Amino acid sequence: MVDLLVIGAGLAGLAAALRASELGLKVKVIAKGHGALYWSSGSIDVLGYVDSTQPAVERPWEQIADLGAEHPYRRLGAERVRRAVEWFAGQESVRSLGYAGHAGYNQLLPTPAGAWRPTYLAPAGQRAGDRADLRPLVVVGLQGMRDFYPHLIARNLQLQGQTVRAVQIPWSVVSEQRDRNTAQLAESLDDPQSQQRLAGALQLVVQPGERVGLPAILGRHAHPAVLALLGEQLGSPVFEIPTLPPNVPGIRLAAALRQQLQQRGVRVEIGMEGVGFRAQAGEIQWVESATSARPLVHRARAFLLATGGVLGGGFDSDHTGRFWETLFDLPLTVPQERQHWFRPHFLDPRGQPALHGGVAIDMHGQPVDAQGQVVYTNLWAAGCLLAGTDPVLERSMEGVALASAVAAAERIAGLAPG
Amino acid sequence: MAPISWHSVDLSLDECIKCNICTTHCPVSAVTDRFPGPKYVGPQAQRFREGGQPLVPDHSVDYCSGCRVCNEVCPAGVKIAELNARARAERVAHSGMPLRNRLLGRNDLLAKVGSVAPALANFALHNPVSRLLAEKVMGIAREAPLPTWSASGTFGDWLKRTQGQRLRSAQKVVYFHGCATMYYEPFIGKAAVAVLEHNGYEVIVPEQNCCGLPLLSNGEFGAARRYHQGNLDKLADLARAGLPIVGSSTSCTLTLKEEAPELLDLHDEPATALQMATYDIFEWLRERYEAGDLRTDFKPLALRLPYHAPCQQRAHRIGKPALELMALIPGVEIAESHARCCGIAGTYGYKVEKYQIAMDVGAELFHFVAEQGEGVRYTACDSETCRWQLEHGTALPSRHPIEILAAAYGVYDLQRRELIDEPRVEYRSAQTTR
Repeated sequence: MVDLLVIGAGLAGLAAALRASELGLKVKVIAKGHGALYWSSGSIDVLGYVDSTQPAVERPWEQIADLGAEHPYRRLGAERVRRAVEWFAGQESVRSLGYAGHAGYNQLLPTPAGAWRPTYLAPAGQRAGDRADLRPLVVVGLQGMRDFYPHLIARNLQLQGQTVRAVQIPWSVVSEQRDRNTAQLAESLDDPQSQQRLAGALQLVVQPGERVGLPAILGRHAHPAVLALLGEQLGSPVFEIPTLPPNVPGIRLAAALRQQLQQRGVRVEIGMEGVGFRAQAGEIQWVESATSARPLVHRARAFLLATGGVLGGGFDSDHTGRFWETLFDLPLTVPQERQHWFRPHFLDPRGQPALHGGVAIDMHGQPVDAQGQVVYTNLWAAGCLLAGTDPVLERSMEGVALASAVAAAERIAGLAPG
Repeated sequence: MAPISWHSVDLSLDECIKCNICTTHCPVSAVTDRFPGPKYVGPQAQRFREGGQPLVPDHSVDYCSGCRVCNEVCPAGVKIAELNARARAERVAHSGMPLRNRLLGRNDLLAKVGSVAPALANFALHNPVSRLLAEKVMGIAREAPLPTWSASGTFGDWLKRTQGQRLRSAQKVVYFHGCATMYYEPFIGKAAVAVLEHNGYEVIVPEQNCCGLPLLSNGEFGAARRYHQGNLDKLADLARAGLPIVGSSTSCTLTLKEEAPELLDLHDEPATALQMATYDIFEWLRERYEAGDLRTDFKPLALRLPYHAPCQQRAHRIGKPALELMALIPGVEIAESHARCCGIAGTYGYKVEKYQIAMDVGAELFHFVAEQGEGVRYTACDSETCRWQLEHGTALPSRHPIEILAAAYGVYDLQRRELIDEPRVEYRSAQTTR
């Protein structure tokens, strides 16, 4: 029997497993599939917007106090959020990807739509896209690549005052195969010959003094080498712009975290969907996952639910207006009437009630009911399924995941909060 | 117009969030343009395969190897591999299939015919001339790792011969051996019986037939249904009597449990009874271990052992019980493979147009084994075709984990692949020897 069973292998699940294992607990992770890191930008957002009609947050730590009292940051306390992010940045796996930021300040990095997104920590491969850098940009795309349009990116950045131009290079520079997604293109660039071909093609189009933005395909395993090689041969800083899913920087982070967990002896079992559980006297005895026949029983002393939000699979809904948490059917703050899930406008600056609701937690990260009572004595929750936050709108997804994951792991390990 | 299907496989496509994780992990689309990836061929193309639509002219579904890695990694629970298998069956029902695929689907018949005169059959099949001929005429790749017939009799022959020596006990377990153990690798069955008897269980080996997986993966659902029905007729009563049915071929047990009922939409009482009674042998042994009911009198085996849990084992979603139990053996140092697939995928890698794809897919695994260094004597893997592919790709002998366990119990010679202390019987068959 393990001390902690984590359900979910996104950032919250993996970070909690790592912290708990570091604190001496025996941990196992089960997940239905690969987690949401595969479609994340790979950077660590803490707080980008408190009010989306206002300019982006510059100093996230100082604006946590402006969030609603039900926000997980407020429940856990700003200091714990900050320590969780610092703990994360110090992890060997995370350091290997060169995560950094502006100590206390957000940085602004370009999106594949040509917007500036505020984020707190970015991997080394993205940092040269920083808006604070005054040098001009060139955005380079591959002809025929889906979902990455350098001219669109450049045009939108220009409209916001950036000096930028766009160019396309032939697809065949990177791959001989015709139809590749971003992760497969990144794998092609693990090959030194493709790296040399790319460097050669870029030398023809990059002008001195330009920073070079490319789709995030600069190597899946050999990323640091690709980055170093291109920087050296071009004499210009090179950076990746995250793409539509699959998003390679997120995949690299997932892989690095999983490797560190593996080295610590923590098993991450993919393909195991939690489908049931047994509780007695308010305590969870075990969780069951689906197999090809009988459910598989996972016993543990404590359980952490990190199955994600609507997209991650932590919630489900039906046409009658029922909106539920999929494993424990925990109490949710989501409206249980369908007409109240969404406002009339998709991009309403106040966000959508269905996405703002979720599992409410107490100051220790344990799910509570409407009366504030802990639902199960040995159950914690972390990540996107938490109530009181719309992580996409706030650009707080990774911060919420890390803060709640670390808080849960430390509490389960018996560390005093605060 | 055909009615809209409410089958769970078809419905699952609505869960697809287009995140591309399946294509990112698909071992086949990684190495060939002929398969654009599970997302496109599965949930996306499925939109055009609804009832009443003309047959999709796209042939790429035929290049899905059916390894089920897509299902494993999907965060939304889409049954992608099953969507593909059903789409292929629809194509076969509509346009027919090559004779080769009919033959490969009926490997049980081939195996049975060959076992009448194994030496002759081995000679007839395994010589360069006939392999070249088989490639040119049939499209069976000449380098592909086809099995050899057991020259020392079938597993059934051995059972008959050793009937008097078999353990009788109040604790009973049913053994599903599958075709490969019956005709090609009877030593796997002997090791399984020895391990079960060592733990005090009487082993019942009822009449059984091929699980039908080769037919399912070649798209012949009609014949597969007859095969599955055959096993239901033979095994459902044992299942209802509460006897566990354990199998050493992890793809056979997966078929009995889930693949056949799901693909064929067979969810009646006998099918469910059989599903619930069937276990991968290590799944069942792990349950015994957790109940404190497994003997752990292992003698040390000095082995550095690369272990690959094959796709069909991982598709059980039971974790890796063989790895857990082998790790209990003193001296055994396991290197766990995280390679996606060995490439062979049942009969996929035997086909001439897919042989190279299968080898390219397997490169990841072969490389992992090579990385483990000089001291490695064997690899371990739960599936027969994958072991043959592993041997083909690494030139190292491969063993089933049940052989490792039997060796650790001191009842099995891992190198010679035979039981220890068993009187050797010269096997005599009717035909001339090579």
